[in-house]
Amino acid sequence: MMDAFYEAASKIDSQPIRSWKERGGKIVGYTCSYVPSEIFHAADILPVRLRGIETESMEIADAYFGPYICTFPKCILQLAGKGKYTFMDGVIITPGCDSMRRLDECWRKAGDTHPGIVPDFFYYFDVPHKTTEHGIQWFMEEINHMISALENQFNVSITPEKLQSSIREFNRGRKLLQELEDMRAKTDIVISGTDAYAVTMAGTVMHRNEFTVLLENLVKELKQKKAAKNDKRKRIMVIGSISDDISLIQLVEKENEAVVVAENLCFGVRYEGAEISENDDAVSALAHAYLGESKCPRMYGKYKERLASLKQIIDRTHIDGVIMQNVRFCDLHGSENGLFERDLEKEGIPCLRIEREYGPLVETGRLKMRIDAFFERLYK
Amino acid sequence: MSRVAGCDVGSLTSKAVIMENNKILGWSIIKSKSDPEESANSAMQTALEKAGCTLDSIQYCVGTGYGRDRISFINETKSEIACHGMGAKWLVPSARTIIDIGGQDCKAIRIDKDGVVEKFITNDKCASGTGRFLEVMAKVLDIGLDELGDMTEKTETPITFASMCTVWAQADIIKYINSGYSVEDIGAGINAAMAKRVAMLANTVKIENDVCMTGGVAKNKGVVSTLEKVLGVRIRRVRKADPQIAGALGAALISQSKINNGGSK
Repeated sequence: MMDAFYEAASKIDSQPIRSWKERGGKIVGYTCSYVPSEIFHAADILPVRLRGIETESMEIADAYFGPYICTFPKCILQLAGKGKYTFMDGVIITPGCDSMRRLDECWRKAGDTHPGIVPDFFYYFDVPHKTTEHGIQWFMEEINHMISALENQFNVSITPEKLQSSIREFNRGRKLLQELEDMRAKTDIVISGTDAYAVTMAGTVMHRNEFTVLLENLVKELKQKKAAKNDKRKRIMVIGSISDDISLIQLVEKENEAVVVAENLCFGVRYEGAEISENDDAVSALAHAYLGESKCPRMYGKYKERLASLKQIIDRTHIDGVIMQNVRFCDLHGSENGLFERDLEKEGIPCLRIEREYGPLVETGRLKMRIDAFFERLYK
Repeated sequence: MSRVAGCDVGSLTSKAVIMENNKILGWSIIKSKSDPEESANSAMQTALEKAGCTLDSIQYCVGTGYGRDRISFINETKSEIACHGMGAKWLVPSARTIIDIGGQDCKAIRIDKDGVVEKFITNDKCASGTGRFLEVMAKVLDIGLDELGDMTEKTETPITFASMCTVWAQADIIKYINSGYSVEDIGAGINAAMAKRVAMLANTVKIENDVCMTGGVAKNKGVVSTLEKVLGVRIRRVRKADPQIAGALGAALISQSKINNGGSK
């Protein structure tokens, strides 16, 4: 059951992507959870979230980005430079944060020395930083621009009806993911955090219909699964910088008496939990849903709302401790984690704040030492 | 009678401590080898010889440090954070904040009255502010690590370094040497740079009195005295044992509490 999710979650050139390509399907890569996948679904294009896993060295990315910047976009550029993303028919870059926004220029420039790595459709999709009415209006314009650009490039027609039908299809998955989250919130543990993260991660690269079917079966199976009696494992929440690598969750769960029961991570169930209106104007519904919730610290002036939502999850899922990590040079999560730590510790919620390098290039010894010490604190 | 041990396989040195009835029977500090298992065996053997006993007589042993998972003779492992907390508590009973500077990392740990860790922070993947930093700088100045510690009290005019990066600071030192600055000024500047870097970590965990320092760098008088000035607190000197063995000592103390609570080999 889990194999299909792990296949998609842990490889860039995974089976679902290969078979879509073999059928002649188009693929567009994107960099941020603020890009509405429904739009691509409506155009029968497979949206694939760009990832940095499988990076083995950094010589291309270092040349364009320099050393003092987040390693995540650097890993994406490195992979692009190595030709790992040539299966993409298009790429969409968003200003998720400043480092990610720089990927636009660096990738284009790297194309001069690495021919063929910049796809014909290389599009910058702007996302406002405020949820004011003005911001929403602007975001709707951006969405409409992107729809036109896709229509011209791929010779497709993205009608309001098609969009609404895609919203309905995505909502089926959103409901199921919410059910999965409800199960994880219970004290009877039926799924590990690593498995759950692999599931949501797979959702960012698989075709949605295929994903929804797999998810439906998984939820059905988990509902019948009996939880272990007297589970003494500590219940952990992981939050912070981008993570598209399940090994981070694995590191927490593997050698410790712990289970990750919730997370607020890009690539995790962040926006996926909430359904999108199926009755309103499709573009307006997408704009309100994607921009409205402000769960990422890239959004201005919403710290209190984010703290409240975090506390709500902590209560709902009976969290024993929160691990807040940030990739080095991640100003957004680095500073927000400091605030979260201050405010949560005040309420007696144990927090571990760690800075790390992103994913595949990391030696995990230091990270493990700090996580071990945190569990010693939780078990004292 | 309970005879226990603790073994701390660190990045630069490995340490072992043998204890009996809350007293140190023997201890060792050796340079770590390329094989952590061998480092552990060698440190343990030296400590056993000093204590005049054999490995068979050890009832419980806890391992810690970066090489802890590779030690063959231990009953369990603990993080060095917990071990340094316990070790420092034994060395300085009034300690609530511990600044530990080891070979490749530095930590600031806040403990409660029982030595249990409340809050900690460590540096990340950078030699700046670690024992390795001092080692490299002493080498550039062509002096011993002990001598470097004495430099601070010998001058009133330490150099200020623009960067705490080990590589950049090294280049800076060479520039100062060539410009004719005295070794004392440069050495005191190195100690001050180190102290400022570590102060940043200590401030992050919110210092509570008393403060003590463990790890090899606690033996550098210059760093300790500058750190006192920068933090504006008195740092209790560790006198009961070598501050460098605090981690292994804490591991031995955890072993002791295991025996007292009924665990055995």
